[in-house]
Formats: sequence, C-alpha cells, structure tokens
Amino acid sequence: MRMKRFKINRSWFLFLALLISCAAISQDSIIRTPSLILRYFCSDNKVPYLFVQSKWKVGKKYEPAKGIVVKLYLDNDSGSNLLGKVTTNEDGDAKAIIPPTLKPVWDNSETHTFIGISEATKEFDETRIEAAITKTKITIDTLTDGETRSITVNVSALNGTDWVPAKDVEMKIGISRLGGILSAGDEDTYTTDSTGNAIVEFKKDSLPGDVKGNIVLVARVEDNDQYGNLQIEKTVPWGVSFTPDNTFFNQRTLWSTRFRTPAWLLFMAYSIVIGVWGTIVYLVLQIVKIKKLSKNTTT
Amino acid sequence: MEKLTSLTTEQITRDLLPQKFGRRGKIWTGILILICLVGAFAYYRQLKNGLVVTHMRDYVSWGIYISNFVFFVAISLVGSLITAIFRLANVPWRTPLTRISEMIAVSAITFAALIIIVDMGRPERLLNLFIHGRLQSPIIWDVIVIGTYFCISLFLLYVTLLPDIRIMIKAKETLGKPFSKLYRWLGSFWNGEANQEKIRDRVITILCIIIIPVAFCIHTVTSWLFATTYRPGWDSTNFGAYFVSGAFLVGAGAVVVAMYIFRRAYHLEKYITDRHFDKMGRVLVLLALLYLYFNVNEYLVPAFKMKKPEAVHLTQLFAGDFAPLFWFAILVGMIIPIFILVFKKGRRPLPMFVAGVMVVVGAWFKRYLIVTPTLLHPFLPMQNVPESYRHYFPSWEEWAIAMGSLAGALLIITFFARVFPVVSIYKTLTDENEKV
Repeated sequence: MRMKRFKINRSWFLFLALLISCAAISQDSIIRTPSLILRYFCSDNKVPYLFVQSKWKVGKKYEPAKGIVVKLYLDNDSGSNLLGKVTTNEDGDAKAIIPPTLKPVWDNSETHTFIGISEATKEFDETRIEAAITKTKITIDTLTDGETRSITVNVSALNGTDWVPAKDVEMKIGISRLGGILSAGDEDTYTTDSTGNAIVEFKKDSLPGDVKGNIVLVARVEDNDQYGNLQIEKTVPWGVSFTPDNTFFNQRTLWSTRFRTPAWLLFMAYSIVIGVWGTIVYLVLQIVKIKKLSKNTTT
Repeated sequence: MEKLTSLTTEQITRDLLPQKFGRRGKIWTGILILICLVGAFAYYRQLKNGLVVTHMRDYVSWGIYISNFVFFVAISLVGSLITAIFRLANVPWRTPLTRISEMIAVSAITFAALIIIVDMGRPERLLNLFIHGRLQSPIIWDVIVIGTYFCISLFLLYVTLLPDIRIMIKAKETLGKPFSKLYRWLGSFWNGEANQEKIRDRVITILCIIIIPVAFCIHTVTSWLFATTYRPGWDSTNFGAYFVSGAFLVGAGAVVVAMYIFRRAYHLEKYITDRHFDKMGRVLVLLALLYLYFNVNEYLVPAFKMKKPEAVHLTQLFAGDFAPLFWFAILVGMIIPIFILVFKKGRRPLPMFVAGVMVVVGAWFKRYLIVTPTLLHPFLPMQNVPESYRHYFPSWEEWAIAMGSLAGALLIITFFARVFPVVSIYKTLTDENEKV
C-alpha cells in the first residue's frame, strides 16, 4: 500500500516537472529578440546606399520592428564618420545614402566597413552590426551572332587603383519581369570565371516586350559577403512587340467607364428623363399661367 | 361623409382648418424634436469620428441606414396609390385620404434622400455622384428617380393645396397671423376662377398620370440595387414587383395609422368615417395578400431548389439567427393583419389602427431582413476575418440616427398638419355641393 502511494506520488512529481519544463520551453519560445540587418546596395554603378532592417525574433518567426532609430557610420563609429541617422518604418525598413561630405573617406580605400548602431529603447536593446564591402564595378554586355544571342556580365573589384576581375561571384542573370527576374538561360544562377565574366546564352525567345519589343536584361548579385548587393540593367530589343488590346475596354458596355455608356441606355435614360422633366417644366409653366390669369383679372 | 350634408360650409371650413397644438400635440412635437436632436448628435459623432462609430464593417456595409432608406422609399409610394390611382379610377371616397397620403409621401421621400447621405459617411462627396456618376449604375438611376419623385410629390401636394390656401388666407382672423405670410406667398394668386380651375385640374391629372410610372420606377430601381447582384436573397427577377407590392402595403398601412391619429387628434369623425376605414381595410387586406403572394414566390422557389448559398441564407432566415425576426415580420406584417382585416369587425377604426401599426412595424423589420442577412454571407469570405464582421447589430449611433430620421419624417407631417388642413377643405365642400 505504501509502495503504491509512493509510486503515485512519484508519477505526480514527474508529471509536474514535465508541465513546468513545458511551460518554461513555451515561455522561451515567445521571447522577443531584437535583430538588425545592414545591407549594401549599388545599382548601375551609381550612388550606393545602405538598407537597414530591424526585426523582432518571436519564437521562430520574424516581425518588423518599427520606429527603431539607427545611426550609420562609415569605417568607425566616430561622429565625423556618421553617415546618417535613420528610423525604420512600419515594415522595419530604412534607407540611407552616403553623403557627399564623406566622399574623401569613401575614395580613400577600396574596402569599407559600414557600422549600424541602434538606439536603445524600452524593448529594443542597443544593437551593433557591421557590413564590410569591397568596391566593385558591374557591367553588362550583349552579343548577337546570327540567331544566337548571349549576355556577358563582368564584375571587377578595386584593388589599389586597379580594377581586377572578381571571380566566383554568384548572380542572377535574366529578364526583368513583374515580381522578379526570369532567368535568361537554363540555370537559376551563374558564377563569374577567373576573368570576372559570366556568359549566358539567351534562350527566352518570344517574350512579350513593350510596344517596340524592348525587354530589360538584369544581372543581380544578392547578399554577397564581399561585394554586397549589385545590380545592372540593359534594355535590348529582343522581345516581341506587344500592343495592349484596348478594344475590350473601348466598347460601350454596362461595365465600361461613364464615357462609354451603351447607346441604347443613353437613349432610354435621356428619353425618360427628358420626357418626365419636360412634363414637369410644362406643368410649372401652367402654374405661371395661372398666376398671370390672376394678374389679368386684378387689372 | 354621409352626415356632412347637414353641415354648413362654415362648419366644414372651421372643422378642417389647421388647429393650434394642444397639450398632447406639444408633448408629441417635443418628443419628436428630442429624438431628432439625439439623432443629430449621433450624426455629429459619425461625421467627427467616421463610419467606424457604426457597427457596419467589411461584410455588412449596408446596415440599418439602407434598411431605413428602403422603408422610406416604400412608404413614399402611398402618394401615388391614394392620390393618383384613386383619382384616375375615380374612387369617390378618396377625398379625406389624399392630403394625408401626399404628406406622408413628401416627408418619407425627403428622409429617404437624407438617410442615403448619412450612409455615405462623407456627405461632401455627394457631388461626386453627379460629377463622376456612371449612367450604367442603378445607383445613379436611383438618385435621378428619387429626385424626380420628390419634385413631383411636392408639386402634386402644392397644386392640390391651392384652393385651400385661398380659404386659409380668407380665414386670417380665425387662424391668426403666424402663417398668413406663408399662405399669401404660396397662393395669393389663386382666385378660384373657372379658367384657373380648369388649368389646375389638367395639371393634377397630368401629375397623377406621371407620378404612377415614376413611383413604380423609384421602388423598382431601389429593388434593382439589390437584384442586379448575384447574392443569395437578392438575385431575383421577382424583386421589382415584390418591392412595389410591399411598398403599397406599408404605404396603405401608414395612411390608416395617420387617418386614425388625425381623426382622434382633430376630431374629424364626421370626415374620416368608419366607412373610410372599412374601404381602406379592404384595400389593405388585398395589398397584404398580394405581398404575401410575392413573399411565397420569393422564398418558396429558392427553398425548393436549395442551391448551396441560398440554402445558407434561407436556413438563417427560417431557423437560424434571424428566424425570430423573420417570422415576426411575416406574422405581424402580413398574416395577423390579414386575419384582422378580412372580418368586418376588424375594419373598424381601432382594429384597423392596430393592424396598420402592425403592417408598418412588420415592414420596417422586413426591410432590415432584406438588407442584412445576405451581406453576412459573402460568396468569397475573407480569411481570418474578425469575429465582429460575422455579426451585425447596429451601434447606438446607428439606432439614434435611424430613429431620428423616423422622428424627422413624423415631425414634417406634424408641422404640415399644423400649417395646412389634413383634409382638403375645398374638395370636401365641392363633394358636398355635388351631392346636394
């Protein structure tokens, strides 16, 4: 009997321990951890910019942290190297460009480190993040040989005062479409060779372009550890001319705009309105006539 | 009116001239003004904070305001029924009822237009309806036809008032000063000569002819606001006739209620007689049976087929959340009044008044049931929709504005009855002279 009671007590104890540990685990899973991301972007070799993203890590999910103030520095966090101070929006995003005042610092070296320091708030602890990049140049060129078309993308990095080929840089090469890049060849991504070139044979024939048949070729390097995010675009007349068919919307239908009301409806509506309101106007004139009759009688 | 032959012209005129409010009249007017003020305050809150003060959300975007609008449009149809149809059909006992029905029509159509502006949330955007409106939209048809019907109703009321205005100008001493300027401004030119009378008679006849199709249009087009969609409960070819028949019923019910109240308040027993109640009772029971017939059509046919979306809607009405309200509207709005009115005893003033009130109250809830349950079951339900979207019960602001609009309509009728005769003096005298 005693043994039995002991067994019961022990099992209750184990059950409670399990419950407590489960509760502890579940509590851990809802801890909100602040997270800061700093990215370097350069499109068409023009003015580079920085993209800041602040997030909450809630369990296994990320949620945007809005209103986080982040100070951005170039190379060191001294006041003279302050790039700017940004506040993240509702999506937790913010952007900053390198100001002209820091041009001497920017030109001074081929590699730079961007530093982001978030201001501490009640919930969001001060967080520091760094992103190191090497200055890079990206070019895109096209070649048409008979029926074969190819795209050559070259990436070169600054070394001292020279631009040297950047090899093993993975990138997407394709056609800009709504919502992303449609690969120009068979592969999803391409990598530069020892000469810094990535060559793709263009295999997407008969793609609809604009009215003149133009399509936009894009080469994009995404989140490269050394070079950051690079993008270059080129417009080529390799698509099929696409003229939107507006005849459907130009019809006089019940679902068209008010300027394309069906003629039969206009006729009916105006006939009824003119008929009824014409009668009303006539009747008002009759009342005026009654008034005049009254005046005549008085005189 | 048989008894009237023994009365002199002076007596009839004295009986029918507008009277000052007594104590009960003042209390009644005060209550109506109070309800209107509460409604105005609620509307101020809605203007200040936006439509969020209502309980209308993405599912139910037409709530009690649009129910009220349909109710007002329905009740306004009575002007064409009593004045136009009875006149063109030469119904001899219509005289004491025409003015009452015209007053109801004008006040109801005024508030039908106003409640739409309330429902818009942003009244300053009303002009956009005219600037950017598409003639393809039934909403524009409704705007045009409501404006037209309002003008015709007001015009008809004015033209029929002209001879009475002359009588009131003459009775300045009896009536006192308060409204004499108004009377002179409205009808001092009327001297009742034969050539004037001839033109007036032609104007009234033409108005009576055009008001009937316009009245049919107003409620048919209102029904098309619903029926031109695919939504269960609204997607019906029967809707125009269903709405028009319902409108005639509620309009006639409102006239019966007004007849009883005016008869009691102004002691018009000699003019609005038991015979008038009996006749109106017959009209009312006919209209109730007609509306019941359209209801059977409206519900039985889809209930026989039970297509999935219709089934959800009908189950909600017949046995679901809306069942108590639905059966209340059917029983109180149609079945019980029919049982009261088929018997001669039921067509006496008091039972008629009770039946009339039941018809009007039932009709108001019927409009609510036409508008709301359908909206709660969209074809494409939203994902993770908030629970509040799935149910609709008006907020206090909505109730206050809706009740304020009803009180406002009653207030117009009340003020009208204070300023003008509720029974046409001139027509009563003419009828008596013809009899003699």
